[in-house]
Amino acid sequence: MLRIPTGGRSLLLAGFGGLLVLMLLAGADALLVLRQVRSSDALERDLYLARSRALDRVRAGIYQSAIVIRDFLLAGDAETAAAQLQKWNSIRRGTEAALAECAATLDPAESAPLRDLQSEVMVYWKQVESVSQIPEAVRRSPGASYRLSSKIVQRRMAMLDLVDRVDQLSIRQLTDGDVKLNATFERLRLRVTLMLGATVSLGLLLAAFTIRRTLHLESELKKRYEEGVRARQELKELSASLVSAQEQERRAISRELHDEVGQSLSALLMEAGNAAASVPPDSAEVRRHVESIKKLAEASVNVIRNMTLLLRPSMLDDFGLVPALEWQAREVSKRTGLRVQVAAGETSGELPDEHRTCIYRVVQEALHNCARHAQARSVRVVVRQEPSRIVLSVTDDGRGFDARRVRGLGLVGMAERVNNLGGAFQVDSHPGAGTTVAVELPIAS
Amino acid sequence: MSSIRIVLADDHTVMRSGLRLLLERQPNLQVVGEAADGIEAVALAGEKKPHVVVMDIAMPHLNGVEATRQIVTRCPDTAVVILSMHSDESYVIRSLKAGARAYLLKDSAEADLIAAIHAITEGKSFFSPGVRRILKEDYMHKMAERDAEDSYELLTNREREILQLVAEGKSNKDVANLLNLSLYTVETHRTHILRKLNLHSVPELILYAVRKGIIS
Repeated sequence: MLRIPTGGRSLLLAGFGGLLVLMLLAGADALLVLRQVRSSDALERDLYLARSRALDRVRAGIYQSAIVIRDFLLAGDAETAAAQLQKWNSIRRGTEAALAECAATLDPAESAPLRDLQSEVMVYWKQVESVSQIPEAVRRSPGASYRLSSKIVQRRMAMLDLVDRVDQLSIRQLTDGDVKLNATFERLRLRVTLMLGATVSLGLLLAAFTIRRTLHLESELKKRYEEGVRARQELKELSASLVSAQEQERRAISRELHDEVGQSLSALLMEAGNAAASVPPDSAEVRRHVESIKKLAEASVNVIRNMTLLLRPSMLDDFGLVPALEWQAREVSKRTGLRVQVAAGETSGELPDEHRTCIYRVVQEALHNCARHAQARSVRVVVRQEPSRIVLSVTDDGRGFDARRVRGLGLVGMAERVNNLGGAFQVDSHPGAGTTVAVELPIAS
Repeated sequence: MSSIRIVLADDHTVMRSGLRLLLERQPNLQVVGEAADGIEAVALAGEKKPHVVVMDIAMPHLNGVEATRQIVTRCPDTAVVILSMHSDESYVIRSLKAGARAYLLKDSAEADLIAAIHAITEGKSFFSPGVRRILKEDYMHKMAERDAEDSYELLTNREREILQLVAEGKSNKDVANLLNLSLYTVETHRTHILRKLNLHSVPELILYAVRKGIIS
């Protein structure tokens, strides 16, 4: 029995659908992560640049403030000194803004050097402030300006160191960003690998399932096909044995009727004759009865004779194919008025019985068709025996039919008989153009 | 007149005993043997040298036509009467070609057998009226169907005379004597007759004569 696993079909559909969804999801996810990475990378770099610029400004502020203070210390008049102080105040504001900017973009947890810098700058400012408030007389005392400015310069050196540390911090933060990015990439790669693994495994599973199912179906199909072939073969053999059984039966009945019933009736007739001869001349009554017996027996003999010939003509077995065909032609002519011409070379007595029977029955059926359906006036039957085959054609001048569409008229039975002997059967007919039935039977040498 | 010695060949015992009864009622007919098949018939004919063998066609082992051929070859003085149920011309022509001189249907045996035996012992042919009728009908039918000109009309009166004599079983020499002709002339006539009628052998000629109702 063929069992088609219908559950498998929905499973397959679900599997393939799942696989597709999985692949789409994995792709979308990877794209999303990539875009995130790219944007965070750019941000990280922008921040770094901003920080660098701010630190540069801090650095510049520190230098400039030192210069401005020196100029302040060296100022000859109060006016110049005030101007330098004002300049310094603006530098201080700018530097603090730059520092604040820097602080905003640095990770607070790691910004210890920045805080140090901020407090150092605070101290520096205070120092400068205190310097600015030193009375002019003290400022102008010899060596004071040098002493004061060298203090500030010392302080400045320390601050620049801090700025450098902040700079390094900034660079580290950038590097940290890169490391984080790398980690994100690593995670992405893992995720993609996992997805890929899952997809491939699912795919393999599906493929295995599909192959198994395909192989199963294929083997079922093959089994079915073989069953079909076997059934057809059996049918063919059955039909062949049916045909031969029918033929055997007919022959047996025909022989039985002819040899037993017919002969007995003939004997009866004879005995009736003998009885009539021994009836005394004066018993007319008995003589009449005997005559009546003879008449009845005669009629019965005729009936039997016709029956046996119709069942299976004895000449087919006694004399062979051609005499049987000729008899058949005469009978059909007599019965129907159809003109039947038989053109046959002598066929050898060795023609196998099945072949003789087959040709005879095909001709019988074909002539029957000519008389019944074809409205033919004349028919030509040609039989030719060659060393390895026997060829038959029955051609009429009737109205014909469309051989591609009509499959009745006993054609199937004829074809069956011929096919059973491995022969070729062909009907050639067109409306209005008569019909030719052609048979070719191979003869085993 | 010495009696005619007869062998019966038929596979049916009832038939044989009926025939024996029929024949032995005649004073000058004597049944000298019975055969149940063709092989026995050939053996018995060789052994008993009968004047006549009454032969059925449908017999086991060797059919009547083949048995007739063998008997006629081996015992030229034995004439064969076919007594069969078959009325078709294929049986008649084959029996004649095998050398049978008379062809009777079994249903008319009782009426015709005696006449047939006397006819063939006189060298003539004999056919049951049933056979004659069937052959004639077939022939007429065939002629009508073909619209053919009756080739009998082509024969001269002399040829028709000779046709009848030959068909009755006369030899060329008998014909020559009867008609006061030379043997050579008779042979020439015979050749012409066969050619005009499109026949090939004496049996065919006999069959033709039967069909035309020239002989009975």
